[in-house]
Amino acid sequence: MKLILPDRSTRVLDLPPAALEAILLGEDINPLEVIASRNGVLITEDTVIEINDEIRLLRIAHGG
Amino acid sequence: MKHEPVRPEVPRCSVCAVPAVTFQRQSGRHLCSTHATADICDRVAITIQEVAMIVPGDRVAVALSGGKDSTALLMLLSRLIPSWEGVSLVAITIDEGIAGYRDETVRSAENLIRSLGVEHHCISFVDLFGAPLDEFLRGREKEACSICGILRKKALIVGADRAGATKLATGHNLDDEAQSVLMNVLRGDLSRLVRNSGTDSSGRFIPRIKPLKKISEKEIATYLLLNNAWTDLPECPYSRYALRREVRSLLSTLEYRHPGTMLHLLESKKKIETYCAGTITPEPIRHCRVCGDPCSGELCQLCQLKRSLGR
Repeated sequence: MKLILPDRSTRVLDLPPAALEAILLGEDINPLEVIASRNGVLITEDTVIEINDEIRLLRIAHGG
Repeated sequence: MKHEPVRPEVPRCSVCAVPAVTFQRQSGRHLCSTHATADICDRVAITIQEVAMIVPGDRVAVALSGGKDSTALLMLLSRLIPSWEGVSLVAITIDEGIAGYRDETVRSAENLIRSLGVEHHCISFVDLFGAPLDEFLRGREKEACSICGILRKKALIVGADRAGATKLATGHNLDDEAQSVLMNVLRGDLSRLVRNSGTDSSGRFIPRIKPLKKISEKEIATYLLLNNAWTDLPECPYSRYALRREVRSLLSTLEYRHPGTMLHLLESKKKIETYCAGTITPEPIRHCRVCGDPCSGELCQLCQLKRSLGR
């Protein structure tokens, strides 16, 4: 699975299918601070991410 | 947002069973795009109505920075207000003059205004104070948020006054409000903690209202994405100096580990206000001896600031 981070860098993870929340925590990302989409559709933290999925993360906090 | 082929394992909306796009951790509900949007709209309407934030005859000025919170606020109010008799809406944008940041958000605000057809007033620090914020902050970057706050408050009052507003609505969300409660506690500032700018105006100021105060930052971002209004804007370059940034991170972690923490902080503030009612003597309102604006000391915050800046 591939994670596209808010700064547009990517991380390829060699993991079995898992809930998005667990994947984010494993990457030290607070699930409350990002919104995730798969194929352009928003997904919830308890969505199971499959091995070939590509997940894009948006950072929600903008100071100012 | 697009629709992807439905996968059997995708969590479903608790209301209509179509694929969910958001999960409310406290209530345990999953919501689809339609019901997530409706839920936010309903909760904002309830927040407004439960304390009569907006009443018939009000002219509501939305402080529109062009950032996500004020964008969502204007979109939500422009949905709700047409059904409320005798209430009108106007937007006010303050251009502080922050190079590489504000131009983009002001453009975003103008695009939104065009699409919603709302009356719009724009006021710049240059017009009002003779210089952009960047110039005021040279060598004082660590005080950025307090200096900007004082100048912006004045600019918003002027804008709301020019627009003939009876209420000034700001996009403060649940995260902002909880952060402010904790920051006031950390600073030991009880009088600020129990101050309520929505009701303490006593006719001297345009009352401020915060219709998004029970909607989380994540819900607001989700609302914008679902309504094709999300713009990935830059972060204010001065926010790195703020205590708020540290408090935000701390509270976000606590909220994740203990859902409801932010709402509990707001409820605590309300309870403290009740316990303190009548026990804290409000500072008498005086008038600034330089500009005549209402204030608590001899000089208002703006005139004190101008003096310290040598202006």
